[in-house]
Amino acid sequence: MLQPSNGPAAGDPIDEVEALARLRRRDDPSQQYYGAWWLGRNRSRHPEAVPLLRLALRQRRPRDASAGVEENAVARNAARALGKLAPEALAAVPDLLDALDDADHGLREAVARALGDLKAEAAVPALCARLAGGPAVAGAPLAGSPRLREPCEALLEALGDIGLASDAVLNAVQPFVDHERPLIRSAAARALLQLSGDAHWGNLLVSLLEHPQLQVRRAALMDLGAAGWRPALEPISRTLAENSLKLIALRGLVENGRGEPQLEPLLDGMDALL
Amino acid sequence: MTPSTAVDSLIRAVTEADSAEALVVATRRLAASGEVAAASTLVRVLGYNNPGAAVAAVDGLIALGVQAVPALLEQLDPRNYGARAWAVRALAGIGDVRGLALLEDALATDVGPSVRRAAARGLGQLHLADLSADQRASLRDRCLQALEAAIADGEWVVRYAVAAGLEALALSSGNENPEACSRARTALQRLAAADGTSNPDAAPVVQLRARLALARLSPP
Repeated sequence: MLQPSNGPAAGDPIDEVEALARLRRRDDPSQQYYGAWWLGRNRSRHPEAVPLLRLALRQRRPRDASAGVEENAVARNAARALGKLAPEALAAVPDLLDALDDADHGLREAVARALGDLKAEAAVPALCARLAGGPAVAGAPLAGSPRLREPCEALLEALGDIGLASDAVLNAVQPFVDHERPLIRSAAARALLQLSGDAHWGNLLVSLLEHPQLQVRRAALMDLGAAGWRPALEPISRTLAENSLKLIALRGLVENGRGEPQLEPLLDGMDALL
Repeated sequence: MTPSTAVDSLIRAVTEADSAEALVVATRRLAASGEVAAASTLVRVLGYNNPGAAVAAVDGLIALGVQAVPALLEQLDPRNYGARAWAVRALAGIGDVRGLALLEDALATDVGPSVRRAAARGLGQLHLADLSADQRASLRDRCLQALEAAIADGEWVVRYAVAAGLEALALSSGNENPEACSRARTALQRLAAADGTSNPDAAPVVQLRARLALARLSPP
């Protein structure tokens, strides 16, 4: 396919200058989409990266099926990229908080994850507000959709990642450990484990490693890794799931956890899964 | 039933399985037989695009060890990507030197990180004890070259497996091949120092694994 610009063709490797140029192409969302992705993927420190991504976060556009692009694709990718650009992207927290009230569920989800990635303490009240009413309100099924009214998994995970263990946060998160969907229970237990360090939540996640659905076992693996819950070494090694995911989980125990078991048995456990 | 008719009926259960679940169960039974005659059928299962059955077949082939290698190398369809990936895992687990070329190629070129990961591990644990000292040195050199070339792999899990492979290779060359040992140590030091600082995917766990390997190679 011929490209309208003189830049590299689709699929060619590009550099930071080219990524920034693509993000400026307001006439071509697919170029902007790729430019935003590139800047996040490569952890750009360029002074123009965050300002351009903040502009891109305001772009709204319906889904264009012919271009294979999702609704508000540029804004969503801008949010994801901002999440990877701490500390510079902390300047974008007010823009992200605006977008957290957007009507687009997928954009709210991407924004919640970005706020968690940035550990944006200023976002905690807004994240808690989105979870208001617990499983019966924020966590109620959305009519005609497999989704819940709010992107609860992303909101819960963000509160856990930010790590501010106030009563308001704990009260917002805790009702979701009784949600009917096991993936939401897993996300809530992960957040509570990160916030409190209480073994009770670690044990809840470990019990989900034996859930009959593979999708739930995979989520519990990722959640134990994110929380760095080292007592899960043996149960993770035994879980019926891909070794690739178990290795990611054990990497999380190494890098995010502390205490027993110590480093060497954790690395031996990883070696056994190679 | 004599042992051979027993294995024949286990093979028939695999070839006649009429559902994905039945194939997994039949493959597990055949893999557990420990019969060399099972190898050819187990290799065929690797190409059936059934992960549960393939895992069981790989386990069975590794248990058969060197006896399974001819079937793995001769029957492998190079156009069947999935089958090749599983075969790399089986050969890595068996450690037979006849698999070396496939492991080298897989680590250098395979698109699947889990395949490159298995190949790196396999290159660290080939069984060389029955060979002459010259052959051992030359094969170790090939393994080292392949592992050294992979320390800049874009996936952390492959670099992790390279660290583990380098450790195993250095430990097994021991006093016999100090040069190989020192090359492995140099590569491990590079992984331990930086794990490629220019890499946005730099992984602390890779550095920690490389440091553990270095500590095990030079006990205090």
